[in-house]
Amino acid sequence: MSRALYTAAPPRTVWESINPLRMIGELSETRYWMYLLLLPSALLITAVVLYPTLYGFQMSFREMRLNRPDVGTDWVFFKHYIRMVNDPIFWLSLRNTAIWVTSSIALEFLIGLTAALALNRNLPGTKLLAVLILLPYFLPNVVAGHMWGLMLDPRLGVINDLLMRVGLLDGYKAWFADPKTAMAAAIIVESWHSFPFFTLLIMAGLKGIPADLYKAADIDGAGPLAQLRLITLPMLKTIIAAAVILRVIGLVNSPDLLLILTSGGPGRSTQVLSLYAFQMAYKDFNFGYAGALSVVMFVLLMGFAWIYVRLSKVNED
Amino acid sequence: MATLSIKGVRKSFGSLEVLKNIDIELEDGGFLVLLGPSGCGKSTLLSIIAGLEPSSGGDVTIGERNVNNVHPKDRNIAMVFQSYALYPTMSVRRNIGFGLEMRKMPTPERDAAVKKAADLLQIEHLLERKPGQLSGGQRQRVAMGRAIVRDPDLFLFDEPLSNLDAKLRVEMRTEIKRLHDRLGTTIVYVTHDQIEAMTLGTKVAVMRNGVIQQFADPQIIYEQPANVFVAAFIGSPTTNFLNGTLEATNGLLSLRHGGGSLDLGGLQQDVGAFVGRPVVAGIRPETLQVAETGVSGTVEVVEPTGPDTMVILNVGGQMLTARLGSRDRPKLGQAMTLSVDARAVNLFDPDSGDRI
Amino acid sequence: MAQTRSSSKLLWDVVAYVIMIGLAIICVFPIIWTFLTSIKVDEDIVTREMVYFPTRFTFDNYVKLWFQSSYPTLVANSLIVTGLTVLICLLTGAIASYSFSRFNFPGRTQLMLGYLVVRMFPAVLMIIPLFIVMRQVGLLDSTVGLAIAYTSFLLPLFVWMLKGFFDSAPKELESAARIDGSTRIGAMLRIVVPIARNGLVATCVFVAIAAWNEYLFALMLTTSQGSRTWPVGLQLMVGEFQLPWGMLAAGGMISILPVVILFAIVQRVMVAGITAGAVKG
Repeated sequence: MSRALYTAAPPRTVWESINPLRMIGELSETRYWMYLLLLPSALLITAVVLYPTLYGFQMSFREMRLNRPDVGTDWVFFKHYIRMVNDPIFWLSLRNTAIWVTSSIALEFLIGLTAALALNRNLPGTKLLAVLILLPYFLPNVVAGHMWGLMLDPRLGVINDLLMRVGLLDGYKAWFADPKTAMAAAIIVESWHSFPFFTLLIMAGLKGIPADLYKAADIDGAGPLAQLRLITLPMLKTIIAAAVILRVIGLVNSPDLLLILTSGGPGRSTQVLSLYAFQMAYKDFNFGYAGALSVVMFVLLMGFAWIYVRLSKVNED
Repeated sequence: MATLSIKGVRKSFGSLEVLKNIDIELEDGGFLVLLGPSGCGKSTLLSIIAGLEPSSGGDVTIGERNVNNVHPKDRNIAMVFQSYALYPTMSVRRNIGFGLEMRKMPTPERDAAVKKAADLLQIEHLLERKPGQLSGGQRQRVAMGRAIVRDPDLFLFDEPLSNLDAKLRVEMRTEIKRLHDRLGTTIVYVTHDQIEAMTLGTKVAVMRNGVIQQFADPQIIYEQPANVFVAAFIGSPTTNFLNGTLEATNGLLSLRHGGGSLDLGGLQQDVGAFVGRPVVAGIRPETLQVAETGVSGTVEVVEPTGPDTMVILNVGGQMLTARLGSRDRPKLGQAMTLSVDARAVNLFDPDSGDRI
Repeated sequence: MAQTRSSSKLLWDVVAYVIMIGLAIICVFPIIWTFLTSIKVDEDIVTREMVYFPTRFTFDNYVKLWFQSSYPTLVANSLIVTGLTVLICLLTGAIASYSFSRFNFPGRTQLMLGYLVVRMFPAVLMIIPLFIVMRQVGLLDSTVGLAIAYTSFLLPLFVWMLKGFFDSAPKELESAARIDGSTRIGAMLRIVVPIARNGLVATCVFVAIAAWNEYLFALMLTTSQGSRTWPVGLQLMVGEFQLPWGMLAAGGMISILPVVILFAIVQRVMVAGITAGAVKG
């Protein structure tokens, strides 16, 4: 009696041919598998990012006021944009945005770099200190805002008390109520909240610099400051550029912290573009104008990113 | 140019002792190779000479000056790193001149010095490039340029050739030797490659576990290894070790081993005290030749390498590798007799491993 | 006299400690002060003479906030939204980042760049249309709708961060599994996911913290008690009831507690992931 060399595969039962696990398994061996894997997330992003963005663009060319249905939703072409050019609040917000973004980033970068350089020495106890130093970045805006609101409170703020004890202040100061100090106070809170982002990225960048470079520089006679200027900073250029872009995007786009701290006040001393657009939508329900403001923000951001990337590329050659 | 003197240098990380009492004297213009397997402490010793790492004890003297507490930049040394450590954001010209720039040398003089170094290394055409645009061999040359431009008392090389492919490595080895002959600077060179050590060094220090096993001329290290470790580490294929008992009949020495007796007439060592006791004979594969008398055994493995044929012989249970001519191709299992040049044999004490 | 290397190193070590400890104090002090405020009695908060070291403690603020306000509901809503966000990211994002990490196909670079660029879109520009769309499909003022809205900025982040972790799992292991008879998806689930497990957890925690903290979308897209999250609720309480500082501080402490704990547990892996994604990006 001869035995078959290979036993034939048992015939598929009905269950097996419709077994979903098996079907996915077989699907995973097809050529389109990588695209299938991307499909759900791509669809989702299309639905919640691309579609709304395009909708927002066309919205900026229409009349759209939720609280006044009588106005209708007609095309108004560049009406909102023309209004913007003549809107002093827009120009003020633009100016404030520039101050808000550049000062915050300068401060965050300086503190972030200093912290990263110190942490990178890997001294005993650094691990715990790193956790404490990075912590603010992970705290909610709402809580960060109120913590500082409490500490800077005009009547019972601990910072007022401390500054008076050191003799820097004559009396309690209402930091957020004074147009001269509101922006500065907000920038300090923002920097406290976000400088660890720079620390995080710069620490990663520092790990990538070969230790031999510093040894060579030691022998070549470069002191600590020359090493920082001639080796560390040039080597970190790419990562610093990336960090700055990401922070600019974050700072321009999100009005959260200012919304909580000042709502743009006092007067309009802390009114920034994102906040203005948000209030235009949330308070005035003028979605068309709010959309136009957002579009301008987006275009400005894109323009900035483009110039910035080009500049940092040019510098490399 | 200067002499280098290392006296009783120690280094420990906590309870781990990586260097134990190192003593080295190197003459002016000498080429010292620190040789050993990875983890032997040779790179740590180099870092201590450079001042990049503090020692736990002992003295380092460059020229007449004790440099124990001198910053690397003030030791007037130059170093070539395994990774080359070229500054990626600076041009080759600035890389080479960086040490001079830091020492505030005026630009015209600096340019002249850079040009001279670049000339010597034939990298003039690369001066405006960034290190990222160079090949491995070119980077190696730039790293050496950065070292010689400074005209230092002492050159330090940390495995400079280990990142190059085999062909370039030979080329750059020759280049380094040429530079040393021309400049005459004192050099300390760390490597794990015995060929580099033998070809380059005027003095070789073989290290293991933080201890110098032997410090001598390369030829001495090859011919009279201080112990079994040095004998095994130097030479390829590695030295054969034949265990046996030393015998003397009528004043003639011989080694009785499992496969017979080996005549040791002409041995260069004074081994009288070991007669009648077990010893280990170190026999280099290249000193064995096909002959009528000597050690006999059966052929176990035949490995032709082109110019040579390596034959492994089973001599009474002990394996003996012989490096024979390319035309000597014995068959497996065949009986074979090899002559041993007793003048090239070293006897070791089996207990301590030291040369008798 | 030449300066010695060890003495200059010592000097810089001291400088580093001064910087690190100083910054750590600045970073932690607001949290400690808030905690102190939350357990002070009212007379010690509103006082002429600042009370740095209170001698009287009370948990009244916590008790009042938890039992006499809608805070528990807010926290519950936040938990649901956070959970849903992580779930959606996990289901759609994990496979996408796996695809980016493992396959090389036409359009891959462009698509990955696309996932990055969407982060540049202003939140306000998306929130308004999202508000309109969600209202049309009946997802406005629902936890599901808010979670979906969160994926607009958290999903791309999730994909990028997780890709870094997937990249570090060797491809050969997967090939070996497939030669041994596993399907691609089998190899992914049995080999790659277990290796990248820590990274997966860290990425989820990162997304969870971001969703838990989010304020702007929640403010715009929730309108009632049924789906409102804690940041919005807390902010409303401040506005409507002139929430006393003690209770506000208590609310802040309750809501950052999970963040601090999670961050402390997974910070090492998470930090590695954030930086890896950013370095490559």
